[in-house]
Amino acid sequence: MGNQFLLIISATIFCIGSVGFLIRRNPLIMFMCIELMLNAVNLLLVGYSGFLNSLDGQIFALMIMAVAAAEVVVGLAIILTIFRTRHELDVDHMNVLKG
Amino acid sequence: MFLYAWLILILPLLGFVALSWVGNRLPEKLAGLAGCATVGASFLVTLICAGKMIGLEPADRLNHVEILYTWISSGSFNLDLAILVDPLSIFMFLIVTGVGFLIHVYSISYMKGDPEFSRFFAYLNLFIFSMLLLVAAADFFFLIVGWALVGLASYLLIGFWRDKTSAVLAARKAFIMNVIGDVGMVIAAFVIFDNFGTLNFVDVFSAAPDQFRLNDDTILLITLLLLVGAFAKSAQLPLHTWLPDAMEGPTPVSALIHAATMVTAGVYLVARCHVLYELAPYTMFLIAGIGALTAIFAGSMALVQYDIKRVIAYSTMSQLGFMFLAVGVGAFSIGMFHLMTHAFFKALLFLAAGSVIHGLNGEQDIRKMGGLRKVMPLTHITFLVGALALAGFPLTSGFFSKEAIIMSSFYSPLGNFVFWGIAVIAAGMTGFYIFRVYFYTFYGSSRSPEVHSHESPLVMLGPLLALAGLALVGGVLGPWTHEFLAPVFGVESPHYHDVMLETVTVVIGLGGILIAALIYLTSSDRLEFAKQAFAPLYDLLLNKYYVDEIYDFLIVKPTKAIGVFLEEKGEKYGIDYAVDEVGRQVRYVSSLVSLWQSGKVRTYALNMMAGLVVVLLFVVFL
Amino acid sequence: MFEITYDVVVFIVGTTAVLASLGVVLCSSPIYCALYLIGHMICLALLFLLYHAEFIAAVQIIVYAGAVMILFLFIIALLGGKKEVQENTLHRMMAFAFVFILFGELLLAATVDKTLPLEGVFDQEAIQSLGSAKAVGLELFSRHLVPFELASALLLVAAVGIICLAKYQTTPRRQKRI
Repeated sequence: MGNQFLLIISATIFCIGSVGFLIRRNPLIMFMCIELMLNAVNLLLVGYSGFLNSLDGQIFALMIMAVAAAEVVVGLAIILTIFRTRHELDVDHMNVLKG
Repeated sequence: MFLYAWLILILPLLGFVALSWVGNRLPEKLAGLAGCATVGASFLVTLICAGKMIGLEPADRLNHVEILYTWISSGSFNLDLAILVDPLSIFMFLIVTGVGFLIHVYSISYMKGDPEFSRFFAYLNLFIFSMLLLVAAADFFFLIVGWALVGLASYLLIGFWRDKTSAVLAARKAFIMNVIGDVGMVIAAFVIFDNFGTLNFVDVFSAAPDQFRLNDDTILLITLLLLVGAFAKSAQLPLHTWLPDAMEGPTPVSALIHAATMVTAGVYLVARCHVLYELAPYTMFLIAGIGALTAIFAGSMALVQYDIKRVIAYSTMSQLGFMFLAVGVGAFSIGMFHLMTHAFFKALLFLAAGSVIHGLNGEQDIRKMGGLRKVMPLTHITFLVGALALAGFPLTSGFFSKEAIIMSSFYSPLGNFVFWGIAVIAAGMTGFYIFRVYFYTFYGSSRSPEVHSHESPLVMLGPLLALAGLALVGGVLGPWTHEFLAPVFGVESPHYHDVMLETVTVVIGLGGILIAALIYLTSSDRLEFAKQAFAPLYDLLLNKYYVDEIYDFLIVKPTKAIGVFLEEKGEKYGIDYAVDEVGRQVRYVSSLVSLWQSGKVRTYALNMMAGLVVVLLFVVFL
Repeated sequence: MFEITYDVVVFIVGTTAVLASLGVVLCSSPIYCALYLIGHMICLALLFLLYHAEFIAAVQIIVYAGAVMILFLFIIALLGGKKEVQENTLHRMMAFAFVFILFGELLLAATVDKTLPLEGVFDQEAIQSLGSAKAVGLELFSRHLVPFELASALLLVAAVGIICLAKYQTTPRRQKRI
C-alpha cells in the first residue's frame, strides 16, 4: 500500500489538528494542536524522502522542528504574560482588538 | 512680405502687459505717455504697411497671410497664429490705431487725477490689441478670440469706476449681451468647420462659391449665426439695449469703443465674409432690413433723450444701422467708407461732449446746460463740425458717405424704395436730434449759472481739432477708399448719381436742422406745444419703447427664478443629498463589515480555514 | 513476508498515532492532552524509524518529545488547567464543516487520477545509508549550510525574546513618592 497510507495518515492528523485548533478555547491546547499539524507535515516530508531517495525532505523536517521549537517557546511566554494579568485562560475573552 | 505687420498687434499688447504690471508705480505722465506711445508706434507701422500696400498692384494685394507660429497641427486640421494683411485689414488698422491714438492723447488730460490712471491706459491698450486681433485674424478662430477679448475690454472699461453701481451693472449687461453674440459666432465656426474642413478665411472663401448654391440652407445658417454675433456687438435690434447703458463708462471709452471701433466690428465681419453673404441674398435682405429699422428706431429715441452722451449713443446705433443697410444691399466699400467717416465725426462728437462734461465738472444733462458758445469756443466749433458731419451737411465727410448709402439703398439690385424711404426719414431725424443737443448746449443762456465752466486744456483740444479736420475734409478720401478696397470685394462699388434723389435727401436733412433751430433756438413756447401734442409718443420714446422692461419680464426674471429654484431645491435636495447619501451608505456598510472583526482568534482561524479550503479547491482540482 | 509484517506494523503505528491525536483534541483536561501528544510523538518517531529516517527519529524524541513537551508540561503545571466546557455553537458546526471538506479534498487529492501519488522507488541499498546521522550531517553541512546557520540564529532570537517577555519584574515599576 506504500505511500498512499502515508498520505492518508498525514491528512488525517492534519485535519484532526485543525479541528482541535478551531474548537478548543484553552490556548495551551490550541498550541498543542498546532504541534499536531506540524507533526503531520513532518511525517509527510520524512516519508517521502524515503520514497524519493533524497535527503531534502529530512532536512526540511529538521528546519520545521527548529522553527516549531522556537515558536512554541515564544508562544508559551506570551501566554504566561497574558495569564499574569488576566488570571484566566480563555481565548474568547481576549478580544481587545474587536471592531 | 508683411511680417512686420505683427508689430502693430504686439506693441499695444506689450503696453498692456507693462502698464498692468508696473503702471501704478509710474507717475501719471509716464504712464499716459507709454500708453500713447505704443498706439502711436502701431499707427506708424500701419502707415508703412499701407504705403507698401498701395505700391502693390491691385491683384497682388490679397491673401498675404503672415504666420508667426503653428499652434495646432493634428491630422488635417491646422491652426496657425496668423494675420491676414490685405486692404480691408489695413483700412481697419488705420482707423483703429489712428483714432485710437488721438483718443489716448485726449485721455491723458481727461483722466487726470484719477487714482487708477495707469489701469485705464492698460485697459485701453488691451482693447486696441484685441480690436486689432479681431480685424487682423486670418481665420475664424482668432476672429472669435479677438471678438471675445474686445467684449472683455469693453466690460472692463465700462465698469472702470468700480464704485459706481450703475456702471458695474451696465458693464455686466453689455458683457452678457456680447456673450449671446459670441455663442452665435462659435456655433457658426463649428458649422463652417464641418462643411469646409478648415477655418482659414482664404480657404473658406475660395471654396464657398463652388460648394454652395445661392440661398443654400447651410450658407443661410452660417450667415445667420454670424449675424447674431454681428448684431450683438454692433447693438442692432434686438440686441441693442446694452449700448445706451454703456455710456456709464468714461467718455474716452465711449468715444473709442462705442463709436469708432468695437461696435463697427459687426460691419467689418459682414464685409470680411462678403463672399458668404453674397451667396445668401435672404440674409442680406435681413441685414438691410434690420439696419434700416434700427436706424429709424434709434433715431426716434434720440429725439427726446436729455443726457448728452445718450443722444450720441443712440446716434451711433442709428448710424450703424446705416452701415448695415449699406452692406446689406451689397455696397460693401460704401459701408466701410461710412465706417471711417463715422469714426471721425462720432469720436469727435463724443470727445467734444466729454470736453463739455469736463468743463461743467461732470454735468451731463443738457437741460442744465446752455450758452457754452462763449465760454468754450474751440469745443463749440469742433462740436459744430461734428454735428454738421453727422447730419450730412453738404461737403462734409458725412455728406459723401451718407449720400452714397442712401443712393445705393435705392439703386442697388438688392435695394428698394422702402429702404430708401426709411433711410431718408432717419437722416432727417439725425439732423434734428443732434442740432437739438447743439442748441441746448451752446446757445441761450446758462441754465445752471452757479456752475463755473471753463475751456478744456490743450491736450484735450488737440485731438478734437485733428478729428474736426478729418471730419471736414474726409470726404475726399472716398474715391481712394473705394479704389483701395476694390480688390477685396471683387468689384468696385458703383456710384449712383441721381440729382433729383440727392436733392430730396439734402433737403430733408437740412429740414431736420431747421426744425430743431425753430424749436430750440428761439422761444420755448413751441417746445411746450410740441411736447403736449406728442405726449404719449414722448413717453414711449423716452422709455426706449419699454424694450428693457420687456426683456426683463420675458428673459431675466424667469432665468433668475430658475436659478433660485435650482439653488434652493436642486442643490439642497438633489446634489447635496446624493453626495451625503453616498457618505452615509459607506459608513453603514463599513459598520456592518466591522461586525466581522470580533477580536477572537478562533473566528480568524475559521476564516483562514475557509480560505484554505477554497484555495485548495482551485489549485488542486481546477 | 517481511513485506507483510512491515506493512502491518506501519498500519498499526499509524493508527495509534491517529488515535492519540484524537485524544489530544477531545480531552477536557490539559494535562491529559499533553500526555496524549507525547504518545503521538513517540508513535511518529516509530514511524520515522520504519521509514528509515533514524536521525530524524532521534531528533524527534530528543527535541520534540523531550524538550518541547516538557516545557508544555511545566507551563500547564504553572498555569493550571481547568477543564473546558464545550458548547454547540455555529462556530463549532462551521469548523467541522470546513475541516470535513478539507479532509475530503485531501483524500481526493491522494486517490483521484490526476493527483495520484507516485510509485515509490524503494532501493534497499540506498535506503540503508539514507537516514543515518552521517548522511544527514553530510547533507546538512554542505548543501544546506546557510539554512542551518539561520536556524541557529532563529533559536537564539527566540531565546532572547522569551527572556524579555517572561521576565519577572524584580524592581518595582513605579517609585512611590512619600
